[in-house]
Amino acid sequence: MDKILVSPSPHLHTKTSTKSLMRDVVIALLPAVVVSVLCYGWSELLVLGVSVASCILLEYLITKYLLKKLCTVCDWSAAVTGILLALNLPASTPWWVVFIGAVVAVGVAKMTFGGLGQNLFNPALVGRVFLLISFPTYMTDWAKPNGFIGNFDAFTGATPLGIAKEGGVAAIESMDYMDMLFCNIGGSAGELSALALIAGFIYLLVRRVIRPYITLSILATVAVFSGIFWAINPAEYTDPLFNLLTGGLLLGSIFMATDYVTSPMSNMGGVVFGIGIGVITMLIRYFGAYPEGVSFAILIMNSVVPLLNKWFHAKKYGRA
Amino acid sequence: MMKTFSIGGIHPSDSKISKDCKIEVLPVPSKVFISVAQHLGAPATPIVKAGDQVKVGQVIAEPAGFISAYVHSSVSGTVKSVGPRKDLAGNNMTHIEIDVEGDEWAEGIDLTDTLVTAIPEDNKEILEKIKLNGVVGLGGATFPAHVKLCPPPGKKADCLILNGAECEPYLTSDYRIMLERSKEIVVGAAIMKQVLGGCPAVIGIEENKPEAIKAMTAAVAELQKTAKGYDGISVMTLKKKYPQGGEKQLIDAVMKRQVKSMGLPIDVGAVVQNVATSLAVYEAVQKNMPLITNVMTITGDCLPMENQHNYKFRIGMPLSYIAEYAGGVPEAAAKIVSGGPMMGKAIANLDATTVKGSSSLLYLTAEQTVRGVESACIRCGKCAEACPMGLEPFLLQKYARNNMFDELEDNAVQDCIECGCCLYSCPANIPLLDIIRLAKGDVIKIIRTRK
Amino acid sequence: MTQTIIWTIAILTILGAALAVVLFVVAKKFHVEEDPRIDEVEKVLPGANCGGCGQAGCRAFAQHCVASSPNLDSCFCPVGGNEGMQKVAAVLGVEVAVKEPQVAVVRCNGTCENRPRTNEYGGYQSCRVKAALYSGDTACSFGCLGCGDCVAVCQFGAITMDPATGLPVVDEEKCTACGACVKACPKGVIELRNKGRRNMRVYVSCVNKDKGAAARKACKAACIGCSKCAKVCPFEAITVENNLAYIDYTKCRLCKKCVAECPTGAIHTVNFPVIPPKPAAQTPKPEAAPAPAEPVKKEE
Repeated sequence: MDKILVSPSPHLHTKTSTKSLMRDVVIALLPAVVVSVLCYGWSELLVLGVSVASCILLEYLITKYLLKKLCTVCDWSAAVTGILLALNLPASTPWWVVFIGAVVAVGVAKMTFGGLGQNLFNPALVGRVFLLISFPTYMTDWAKPNGFIGNFDAFTGATPLGIAKEGGVAAIESMDYMDMLFCNIGGSAGELSALALIAGFIYLLVRRVIRPYITLSILATVAVFSGIFWAINPAEYTDPLFNLLTGGLLLGSIFMATDYVTSPMSNMGGVVFGIGIGVITMLIRYFGAYPEGVSFAILIMNSVVPLLNKWFHAKKYGRA
Repeated sequence: MMKTFSIGGIHPSDSKISKDCKIEVLPVPSKVFISVAQHLGAPATPIVKAGDQVKVGQVIAEPAGFISAYVHSSVSGTVKSVGPRKDLAGNNMTHIEIDVEGDEWAEGIDLTDTLVTAIPEDNKEILEKIKLNGVVGLGGATFPAHVKLCPPPGKKADCLILNGAECEPYLTSDYRIMLERSKEIVVGAAIMKQVLGGCPAVIGIEENKPEAIKAMTAAVAELQKTAKGYDGISVMTLKKKYPQGGEKQLIDAVMKRQVKSMGLPIDVGAVVQNVATSLAVYEAVQKNMPLITNVMTITGDCLPMENQHNYKFRIGMPLSYIAEYAGGVPEAAAKIVSGGPMMGKAIANLDATTVKGSSSLLYLTAEQTVRGVESACIRCGKCAEACPMGLEPFLLQKYARNNMFDELEDNAVQDCIECGCCLYSCPANIPLLDIIRLAKGDVIKIIRTRK
Repeated sequence: MTQTIIWTIAILTILGAALAVVLFVVAKKFHVEEDPRIDEVEKVLPGANCGGCGQAGCRAFAQHCVASSPNLDSCFCPVGGNEGMQKVAAVLGVEVAVKEPQVAVVRCNGTCENRPRTNEYGGYQSCRVKAALYSGDTACSFGCLGCGDCVAVCQFGAITMDPATGLPVVDEEKCTACGACVKACPKGVIELRNKGRRNMRVYVSCVNKDKGAAARKACKAACIGCSKCAKVCPFEAITVENNLAYIDYTKCRLCKKCVAECPTGAIHTVNFPVIPPKPAAQTPKPEAAPAPAEPVKKEE
């Protein structure tokens, strides 16, 4: 360098960048992705491919030609949205439905607000909920897994939560929690294996990508809420463990509720945010029309985040 | 369990490359330029003029106000000129230029190595000596030491904290003096402790300097055995976390007390002094030696091991002379920092000279120090997590960019200690501290005018 | 069915009436007494809410006018100009002095060519941040820092950075002399000067107070404080203080003698015809082709 550089302090910077954080999220999602591909086979691979490719392409086109600002594709955030969207869809979703989901996720939920860092709602969830409302038949068509591994003899063609909604607690009595931990239950790709998702969670914590408050608060709230109802009337309400392991709860609480942009900044805010999500999820599961409510719960709580940010601040030094 | 401060903090690699380099004495150059602004507060007024003969240790500038300090000549010779010269940042500041002739010391200065352990009984005399010998805080802020050692009426010191944390990466000058001058530092601590009314003194050292902890503990134990007035001095091991050496953080770590916003450490009964200041106090009181020397580290990842140094320098030496003597500026250096990499100043002008508070010449490579391109805030909250004051830099920078001073004040921008944790940890390379530092100045001005 | 309709109408009517009462009470209770003149003043203002006057908008300016009446010296609406201020004065029933039309002038010659860079700035691109940190990326510690705080603060898009020179350029047509850039510049490089006869102006385009040698070393086109211009000026319009010449625009008669005299070309002229017609150029000798007067900058 011919001229010395002068800038205000500090003169050192962390190696962590937006890109590395997003890449870590992708890495954390890999176990779930691998499990879903192994279980659902080529059709899941297609959903994943279309979703990721269209999210990245849309982000590129919109930032370059519509917003005319610095292209954010290289920071992996579009890839994260793509993978999360795919994991939220049934493996049998036609490719054009996936594409519409990507358009809504990236085009509407993310870019109309100004792109990365500006969106109020989690893009992948907006995409998913849009599809759920617009194409309910595709979105609840839980085809029998037809992948490379797994024993699906007990497969019923519906998600455990769906079965519980239809048939009550009696209908799920035969289910084994071990199946839920691994990948022997029906559902969208990301709901298959609780173990894979927990592995991702641990990775994110170890790499200090996320703080555990939001996730733990959601899980604890769900456990407590369902625990109370289950204790009162076990014949009517499903038990806490069932509620923790099924549906999109783990995927949602680990990867979507913790999305930086759409979650509160302070730890206390995060806890309140998590409690809100847990309660709304369980209200929908127990009393709502849909068997699963994580997506709605997260989106509803997303809208409260600005308020939470206003109410809850970090503890300041020297101020009581 | 090891103690540390309770909020925020970061863990940059400590990179103490030069920690095993013994302190060497720099030879005096043929010419020195002594700045009259080597301390916080009003620049001193020169009392010599061109043509005057000066000796080493002779006063050449007097304090110009309550918060100001004496400046002494670091060499003997003839004053060549008194006039503006560009300082570290390239701004004009009055410097006294002296042509060096011989090395003749002013009278009354004890130049021997003997350790003087007997502490003078008269506190007034001690304070006067500290003041007359131009001792300032050497932890970075260069606040006149005698002012800090005289608590305002009605306030009493409960604890003297000696800052041996040296939490800034790379710097090793404090570490070296703790190893090589441990007893002198303890004597300095005992002197300050006595001035403050006999409160206990704690020497806080980070865990990554086990030898310094050992040396200081041994020095304390020996002096307590052999001399009077050394009770109540102890060494405390602190966790390695930046900014452990920040005044407010150190008070929190050692005393579990927090200074109120816009308050002073003495409000919670704390006085914090750097170990280097303690050494300067020893020299001033026991040896009548003015503050004209200090120890600085020459280091950097791009510097070969044989060129890493800890130098005892005299004030007024051109930095370029020191850099040259130490083996030249390495090719790979993109930025030269005076002070630590977190809070130090980038040097715009290598012809600037050393001052009392100079602590390093740190060479950083482009790869280490060039900031990445700023991208959108992803609201990850890493800055808030890192802030040792519990502030929310992401919020403050947003308010600052829009000149929302009321909101800035409500969110405590005035409490910012400019430690750099936020900018260090931002994954989107947002120039958080650059913006917040300005806003802090503006808000403090607003608060002052309101009062 | 009928009952439902009746119920609906009844509930909505009651609700409407109740809310009307609430609205009425609130409006009464929280009514703010205001000087009626504020409204009147606001009516004669341009209503652009540009902030050019230094207030938060036209209403704030109207409040400021009413508050500072009868002395309106601190109030000037650059968009409405003198005419607009006359109207404001008429509403308030006071007198207001007519202001000479002014324009922002950038007093720095430090182009990349004249003033070589001595280091590279790597912090936030803001003049204020840069100025707080150090003297700047050239050897001149007085001149333009080039980060464009003036551009950012200009409400009228009248200032742009010239990428070739690295200096801001003022568009005379758009500049309303609101003074926002003057306040924003941490180095005090920008000054408001009278537009002058036929927009012709002569000014020292430098603010360097270093001694001649240092100033020249830092920048080829710096004012070195040689005082030649002050000596040659027939109208005593030029003063030299701290090694820096300053032309008082109220005294300058645009003779341009100083321009020819300046050894570094630090004195700029604007809007003079390229070949000066006889009445304008009062210099007796045919110095029509002033060799050192290269800096005759033609700003359209």
